[in-house]
Amino acid sequence: MKAILTDITKCIGCTQCVSACKVINKLPPDKPREWQKNDGLSARNWTSVLFKDEYYVRKQCRHCIEPACAAACPVGALHKTDFGAVIYDSNKCLGCRYCMMACPYGIPRYDWDSAVPYVRKCIMCYENINNGVIDQPACTKACPTGATIFGEREDLLIEARKRIKNEPDKYLDTIYGEKEAGGTNVLYLTSKDCPLDFLFYYNNRIEKGVKLLGEPAFNQPYPPLTKKAMNSVPFAFVGMGAVMSGLYWIVKRRQKLEKENKGAEDGKNQ
Amino acid sequence: MERINKFKLVLWIILGIALAAGITRFIFGLGATTNLSDTTPWGFWIGFDVMGGVALAAGGFVIAAFNYIFGRKEFHSISRAAILTAFLGYVAVVIGLLFDLGLPWNIWHMIIFWNPHSPLFEVGWCVMLYLTVLFLEFMPVVLERFPNLHLLSKIHKVLTKIRIPLVVLGIMLSTLHQSSLGSLFLTMPYRLHPLWWSPILPVIFFVSAICLGLMMVIVENMTSSYLYKREFEENILGKLSRIAVYLLLFYLVLRFGDIIIRGAGIFLFQASWGTYLFWLELALTVFIPLIIFIIPKLRKQPNFLYLGALSGVFGIVLNRLNVGGLTHLTNLTKSGSFYFPSWLELSISAGVVSLAMLAFFYFIENYSVWDEKPKDIDSEPLTVPKFNTNYVYLGPTKTANRVKFSFAFVIAFGLAFALISGKHIYSKGFDKTPVYKARGGDTLLIDGNRNGYGVMFPHKFHGDSIKIACGKCHHLNKPKDKNTQCFECHNDMYLTGDAFRHDWHTSAQGANLNCFECHKHNVNKGEEFRGNMAAITKLCLKCHNDLFPADVKVKILKTYVTLSYTDAMHKLCINCHKERLAADSLLRKSKPGLALCSNCHPKPAQYSAEHKLFTKQNVNKWVVVPPRLK
Repeated sequence: MKAILTDITKCIGCTQCVSACKVINKLPPDKPREWQKNDGLSARNWTSVLFKDEYYVRKQCRHCIEPACAAACPVGALHKTDFGAVIYDSNKCLGCRYCMMACPYGIPRYDWDSAVPYVRKCIMCYENINNGVIDQPACTKACPTGATIFGEREDLLIEARKRIKNEPDKYLDTIYGEKEAGGTNVLYLTSKDCPLDFLFYYNNRIEKGVKLLGEPAFNQPYPPLTKKAMNSVPFAFVGMGAVMSGLYWIVKRRQKLEKENKGAEDGKNQ
Repeated sequence: MERINKFKLVLWIILGIALAAGITRFIFGLGATTNLSDTTPWGFWIGFDVMGGVALAAGGFVIAAFNYIFGRKEFHSISRAAILTAFLGYVAVVIGLLFDLGLPWNIWHMIIFWNPHSPLFEVGWCVMLYLTVLFLEFMPVVLERFPNLHLLSKIHKVLTKIRIPLVVLGIMLSTLHQSSLGSLFLTMPYRLHPLWWSPILPVIFFVSAICLGLMMVIVENMTSSYLYKREFEENILGKLSRIAVYLLLFYLVLRFGDIIIRGAGIFLFQASWGTYLFWLELALTVFIPLIIFIIPKLRKQPNFLYLGALSGVFGIVLNRLNVGGLTHLTNLTKSGSFYFPSWLELSISAGVVSLAMLAFFYFIENYSVWDEKPKDIDSEPLTVPKFNTNYVYLGPTKTANRVKFSFAFVIAFGLAFALISGKHIYSKGFDKTPVYKARGGDTLLIDGNRNGYGVMFPHKFHGDSIKIACGKCHHLNKPKDKNTQCFECHNDMYLTGDAFRHDWHTSAQGANLNCFECHKHNVNKGEEFRGNMAAITKLCLKCHNDLFPADVKVKILKTYVTLSYTDAMHKLCINCHKERLAADSLLRKSKPGLALCSNCHPKPAQYSAEHKLFTKQNVNKWVVVPPRLK
């Protein structure tokens, strides 16, 4: 599976990737709304560069190995490809926005200003690469410092480990995306001064450090959470039907017996 | 006007407003009409219309179960109204959903594109099927009215025969989707507040839906009885409330047991918005109804019974709103954007409810939903006055009411449409001139004064922290100049200052001079002078002739004017600062801001000795202060 590795320490914040993304996906200029105070992502900005603790952090769809959005979509408009990208089929979408709620990174954006809105997010230039227009995503191609690179996920993991090993003072000894939510196809290497925990809901929770029973671990994928409940649906359906039919039969029979007894008693009395 | 007609008039007005809001929503999109955003993609329409609506309609399957399955025939008299409420409730849910969906014309996609692992897929299918079941369950009531039509009566016969299987199917489907609405949120364990997220959320939803169904039947029955001035079934409602007691107790145990077993007990007693909401929800859902339903004295008073049931209904609808968005991380933390529904959202929700209520009243009045039909509310008064203006202008009561309703509807629609001004629609999502987000973070390198000097400009600081409106700089009305220049606000940085202490020089404790001792240059005594005071002022050097070292190359001519801060920093002094920094390792270690005066001028305590040394060593570095550059 293909993946993207972003090295925070190399990024100079030039936002060439953002421009390249806008050009290749033919995205119109953005009209800012309130929430863009948080991050630059919107339906017209599929990647953005955040300024965090004197480092630049590129934000984009993480292309989870087991994507929560694809599991949530009722019509399967989002799905994971073998290529590695999580892509979106606007012909299927009905606009329920459950994917936006389900994403553990809060990535998918909506075309709020349009009367015919679609869900928008990075698709790793899937169609353009498939059609042979480009050989790698526009953002990695545009990066002048090599801060963000494209390749096989295994190769990139090896490369990341090599960089950490070579400069253990500089890099934080974690590859973000290696395990988070079951692993993602967008990996981050970061400096010791700038942990990237803020990118994940898990670390944004109100009460930090409290682990409650039943909550998934940080490296557990999200789709099984609902799949477990959904797998019990047929049993609940059939079980409820059986219980109700049984109850009906019992109640009916008891009433019948009562009536017969009453009739018999009445007959005796007469 | 009859009580019911006054109520209907209000409903028609709400419906008129909702129609205007609905048209706006479909023309201009969700962004223009709602307060939804990327951080809160689900709002009031999902929380109230869909999740609350489905739960409110639970009375249908609960009462049907009691009546047909458990053989409690005493509930027969309320079962038709309960099934009608459920049917209309589900219709309202679907209408509400059509407003909320971004592409409502694709709603049928769920039939052909399958993703069976999605809880929403399951909810969608169940709602579709259950709506059909409810339709078939209610159909006999409508068909009864036409006993002479052969085909219809035949259908009626078939439907009555398959009633029990239909009821069982209805219960099965309700079990599934009432609980699956809870399963929707299983996938967001860190988005929901820990008091609400739980692996058994589907079970909690199912149990609370049954509670709500029972209490909603009480509320619906008592409200419609009040409106139609009819005796309500006190006996049956009392029985329902006693059943509700057991269910509410079970719900209470389930809720607290779940919270304590999960270890979320610490959140129960916190001073936070989430905790307050939790206790409010629980008080409304469980505590108030339980107190009223358990004490027979209170339960037997209709007002208290109504209050208890209504409180329960509000509580569980609040639960749905809490799970659906109010307690989400995005709403509770500063990093998110706080969501409160816009008036258009609220009016559409209210309109959908009004529509369902009007339909309910229509069926009540025209079909035998109750055991006996309500008395004709549009009947003419028995004693007709001689000259009835109402009758002359509006016709008989039935026509008059129709005219009044239509009038209220049209006026409300028009007024609401006028209120949805262009400003409301355009100012929300659109800025008139596109402003691009500051590139490269919060600080920009700009040439704010168009003089070839770049400075680091903290853009975010100007906007967010000191709250300068964007228009102050980006106002685009300057010829050949896009922005306001820096110095227009920061003029104190560009003005020359006064280094001369007037008050010290004139005070008796100080130099004890009068004004004329300095300001008499070139002016004759007694002559009035108006003009540039500097032109007639004596040079400082005349008195302070020891101000400069004797061997300095160029002497300052006008000493009473200090350089502006920018001139001092950017044009002349900075080199000196740099040199000093390079020479002094201690300074370099602490990395002081170059702009600090104390870098070169030590503090007064060390002044005398060090200053002399400094001036002696750096004689050649004294420079001429030129007049301000242009």
